[in-house]
Amino acid sequence: MPTPVSVARQCLAEEAAATLDDAVAVAKRRSHAQTTSLHAISALLALPSSSLREACARARSSACPTRLQFRALELCVGVALDKVSACKSSDEDPPVSNSLMAAIKRSQANQRRHPDTFHLYQQQLNSNSSNQTSVAVVKVELRHFIVSILDDPISTEIVDESSQRVGEILVKGNKRNPLMIGVCAKDALRNFIEGLKKGGTGYVPKEIDGLNLISVDLELSKFINKDLSEEMLELKFKEVADMSENCQGTGMIVNCGDLKPFVDAESVNPVNVLISGLKRLLSSSNGKLWLIGFLAGDDDYKKLLERFPRIDIDLDLHMLPITSSKPSASGGKVFKSSLMGSFVPFGGFFPMPSEQETRGSHATQSSSLCHLCNEKYEQEVSVLKGTPVDADYHLTNRSSWLPMAEFETSKRSDTVEAQDDKTILDYRVMALRRKWNDICQQLHRTCTSQDTFSEAKLRTFSIPPSHNVPIRNDSFQAGSVLGRTRLTNLSPGFPSELLNHSSSKPKLSNPHALESGANVLVELPVQSLEMDDHPNPSCSPQQSAIPSPDVSLSTDLGLGTLYTSKREGRSKPNLQGHSFYKLPMTHENIPSQEKQTYAKGLEYPWKILSEMFCWQFEAIQTIRRTLFCCRDGDSRHQCPKKGNHWLSFLGPDKVAKRKIAASLAEIVFGVSEHFLSLDLSSQDVTNLCNTGSIFCSHGSIYHDMKSERKMIVDCLADELRKRPFSVILLENIEQADFLVQSSLLQAVKTGKFKDSHGRDISINKVIFVMSSGVLKVGENLVFSEVVSEFSEEKILGARNLQMQILVESVHENTISATSVLVTPCNGMYKRKYTNPESTNSVTSKRLRNFSRSNIDLNLPVEDMEEDIDICRSDGESGNSENSELWLEELFIHVDENVVFRPFDFDSLAKKILKDIDVGLRRTVGTKIVLEIDQEVMVQILAAAWLMERETALADWIEQVLFPSIKKAQQRYNGTSNFVFKLVAYEGLVEEQAPGVCLPATIIVK
Amino acid sequence: MGHSLLEALNVRVVGSGEKILVLAHGFGTDQSAWQRILPFFVRDHRVVLYDLVCAGSVNPDYFDFGRYTTLDAYVDDLLNILDALGVQRCTYVGHSVSAMIGILAAIRRPELFIKLILIGASPRFLNDKDYHGGFEQGEIEKVFSAMEANYEAWVNGFAPLAVGADVPVAVREFSRTLFNMRPDITLFVSRVVFNSDFRGVLGLVKVPCSIIQTAKDMSVPSTVAYYMKNHLGGRTTVHPLNIEGHLPHLSAPNLLAQVLRQALPK
Repeated sequence: MPTPVSVARQCLAEEAAATLDDAVAVAKRRSHAQTTSLHAISALLALPSSSLREACARARSSACPTRLQFRALELCVGVALDKVSACKSSDEDPPVSNSLMAAIKRSQANQRRHPDTFHLYQQQLNSNSSNQTSVAVVKVELRHFIVSILDDPISTEIVDESSQRVGEILVKGNKRNPLMIGVCAKDALRNFIEGLKKGGTGYVPKEIDGLNLISVDLELSKFINKDLSEEMLELKFKEVADMSENCQGTGMIVNCGDLKPFVDAESVNPVNVLISGLKRLLSSSNGKLWLIGFLAGDDDYKKLLERFPRIDIDLDLHMLPITSSKPSASGGKVFKSSLMGSFVPFGGFFPMPSEQETRGSHATQSSSLCHLCNEKYEQEVSVLKGTPVDADYHLTNRSSWLPMAEFETSKRSDTVEAQDDKTILDYRVMALRRKWNDICQQLHRTCTSQDTFSEAKLRTFSIPPSHNVPIRNDSFQAGSVLGRTRLTNLSPGFPSELLNHSSSKPKLSNPHALESGANVLVELPVQSLEMDDHPNPSCSPQQSAIPSPDVSLSTDLGLGTLYTSKREGRSKPNLQGHSFYKLPMTHENIPSQEKQTYAKGLEYPWKILSEMFCWQFEAIQTIRRTLFCCRDGDSRHQCPKKGNHWLSFLGPDKVAKRKIAASLAEIVFGVSEHFLSLDLSSQDVTNLCNTGSIFCSHGSIYHDMKSERKMIVDCLADELRKRPFSVILLENIEQADFLVQSSLLQAVKTGKFKDSHGRDISINKVIFVMSSGVLKVGENLVFSEVVSEFSEEKILGARNLQMQILVESVHENTISATSVLVTPCNGMYKRKYTNPESTNSVTSKRLRNFSRSNIDLNLPVEDMEEDIDICRSDGESGNSENSELWLEELFIHVDENVVFRPFDFDSLAKKILKDIDVGLRRTVGTKIVLEIDQEVMVQILAAAWLMERETALADWIEQVLFPSIKKAQQRYNGTSNFVFKLVAYEGLVEEQAPGVCLPATIIVK
Repeated sequence: MGHSLLEALNVRVVGSGEKILVLAHGFGTDQSAWQRILPFFVRDHRVVLYDLVCAGSVNPDYFDFGRYTTLDAYVDDLLNILDALGVQRCTYVGHSVSAMIGILAAIRRPELFIKLILIGASPRFLNDKDYHGGFEQGEIEKVFSAMEANYEAWVNGFAPLAVGADVPVAVREFSRTLFNMRPDITLFVSRVVFNSDFRGVLGLVKVPCSIIQTAKDMSVPSTVAYYMKNHLGGRTTVHPLNIEGHLPHLSAPNLLAQVLRQALPK
């Protein structure tokens, strides 16, 4: 409850009481319901030589003139007072608010404790201890009173925050005339002017009440349109000048309205006349005149500056972006405070969203309170709602001053308007909530919102629990002959749990592998590469029973499955080599000394490897040499102690790179589990998967990595911790993120890999293989430069499609000489025939659908295509300058940059077609024409590239393709005037043929 | 006020380096939203983090309903912080409402900003004649009433929509920070945001900008990104992010961090 003025006066000494009277007068004049500390400050400032002024003058730095500072302070107080809502004026003096009364009581206590007067008050207190009015005994002196008032949170907020801001702008010597720019600028200006006109009724702080307004907008636009003579304009300017000279109060503001006519003016001359006229006005006004105007758009402002480059200097224009639109305005109350509040700094006067709305919004939510406090809070709220008038709340004075003030105001005025009741209630509820918040914060610290935050912060910087990041961990168990053999070669150097882990798994070869007859056991030396401080005496090469290095045995190196993922639980193709479709690009010119090195025991696996990937012979030799030289310390002069190894695999043939890196794990560590592959591509594989990429169906790590929120560098670090001995293949290294970049660079230099938290992981036994499509830093992917029918790029785009065979009748003379051929996938073949069947159109429609499915429908296609300034977030932009520098540096530090050669898909395609042709003649007959759609051919090539077991494709041709053709042939009675077409069918492969990424069945129409 | 402002808004400066990067969170989050982005920058930047005054992590008493009626007051806070820290030049990354705060700040003090990187920014949420902001006034009023009626229910419904992508951790995280906000403040800020119209002032920005726009953002249609690009006054690029949602820093931090680094001034 507010205290009656007379009671409060009793507590004050004469001078202080006079101040209170002044304050009450201020409150009364403004029709405020209560007298607060703000009113007191206002009253104190009004006196020309009050102690507050003196104190301020002493305390303030001399950074800016004191006069201006006071001006700022006055304005602040005025603004703050303006925000207090007015109530119907009554004849009584506005009672003293709780917070001001509290300030008075605080000053009493202070005074009582003050050494000068302590004894005096003690005596008084003793003598009339029974006196009820003992509080009134201490008459507060003015200085104590001022100190307490300034302590009041309502006041401190102004003195601290706003004055600084206001002072800053007022002191500003130039650019003090606001030019409002924005869609809502017109409304903002109108609101401001209305506010000024209404002045004096509590809408406008008294400091701005004195500001006279004169509008010249009509004259300006008329003059520009030549509807007004120069003489008339001069008269108007003279009038303005006179007014500003004679005006009482703060000064004059000249409303220039919309400056659009300035922009649109046919000739610049009249506008220049205007500008110079206004400039003269400003300079003669001695700082007592402001201009104000607006423009609806930034483009107009730009044009204005283009036409009149000096206008902003001449007219001291302060460009003021207006970004707030007026909510459905309902009377002055909507904008009353914020408008004026922002007028002061000329810092954006905006209509404020209706206070009703904001207050009404206050639900009785109490999310951050603990249960106990919440209960009490709700109790009090319910009490409050029951008795809306009289409840006395011991408000903590930590609340922000505005709602406080209004709350206090509202206490008095709750009988005034029914509409206001809800508002008042809401404020009370809010105050209650605040109170309980404070109590809760003090007593039950665990449940405050702040604590929640600190908790959150803690969580923020702790490591997230490793949640099952499915990094692809290629395992070679299925059919891995090596895996089985290795068990006989137990080496002490391997972590036993790893061995247990691998031995516990069935190592049975896939039956298919056994059928293929390529199941010669090969024992390989387990540890052919000696690592620092990790000698491995048990696995000397002599122990290995090496079969004679016959070429045919090359198929026996179990390289395992690189592309199966455990998650998918797909049956792993059992693959035993790659020599069936040995490429024509053999290397006859292998230097003889290289051949001789095979004699050394350790060379055997290398030999197998180079035979399997004969077209990558040089690359493999380089790798071998690098690893051996490293062991011998030959090329490690820069960093001889380093136990880790760094290779970069550059250039095309992604698949060979993967397979060779995987074989390294087996050759070096003897255990295929010691291989980890990670694709750093920033390309979104989700999309790739949606389109059914054949490479995606092999399980991409990227997808899992990116959808996880864990940082890639930490995933990598975790894997390195788990697997201290391993080969780590990092694909698309050029797209590594910054953290991976810097950690890798540091690792290659120092042998320590840092995770995102700065913790070091030892990488002494790790072979890093960094794979990239680039040949040299800054160059594009090589395979895009190779001119061939089937480029690697094209093959990488292969999709895992279902296939079908169509039969079409043709004229005999159109049948080509070769019986198996590839047709372009764009449906062109349809036009060749005079008599296309209905299936054709279906096919071509479907094909179109497929090609369209690459486009992300979520993106505005036209926009993106038109726009040149768009940075795609895929690999291309990943090669930013910094990345390139980094890559260059990394490649300098690696042990060896191994360059791979392109895989010859064209030759492979020829060979496949020839094999099919031969097979068809054998199994089906001579007069067969098979056209393979190019899209399907790409798919077959990709499958052949990926497959691990050499005969897998041949098996597929024998067991899937030929029977299907036979079936189709039977259906059409074997007439020769038919052509068979192998085309893609709608949908992705559901059942896969064993060992190869091709459909297990082909649909026959 | 300088010092207490730094305290009140939980200003932190982390990392080391010559360059200064400001990470400003958006509506419904607090600075913790950047936690997974931060490590990508602390090695070569001094990163300034702070909470908007409306964030749940700031004492609600600091939220002055009379002052924060427009975004200008938030801009004051930002500029005061940068001044108090003695920042001369910085790169500014702003998400959602902070993107707009950054735009205003760059208009006022262009010399302070080397570049603005705007994530999920919209100059105007309401549809207009020739402008598609994504919302109709009526829809927004419905949202407001839902917010008033049951804040918790609203948060639980809104968070998954805003996150967009199916990343439960991100939804949890966003729900937490959103729920930490006092409901009346949330509503008040939403109104201020929806009342804002930046279309007339974008051209006043002279600082180069990068706009990061996800493929599907429930609050910002992708056309808005191109609107911004065409109207911002400085050299502006758009970086489409091929993921969904309004909060890529929560749902796909690795991807966002990489794009952010690409967007950094060279």
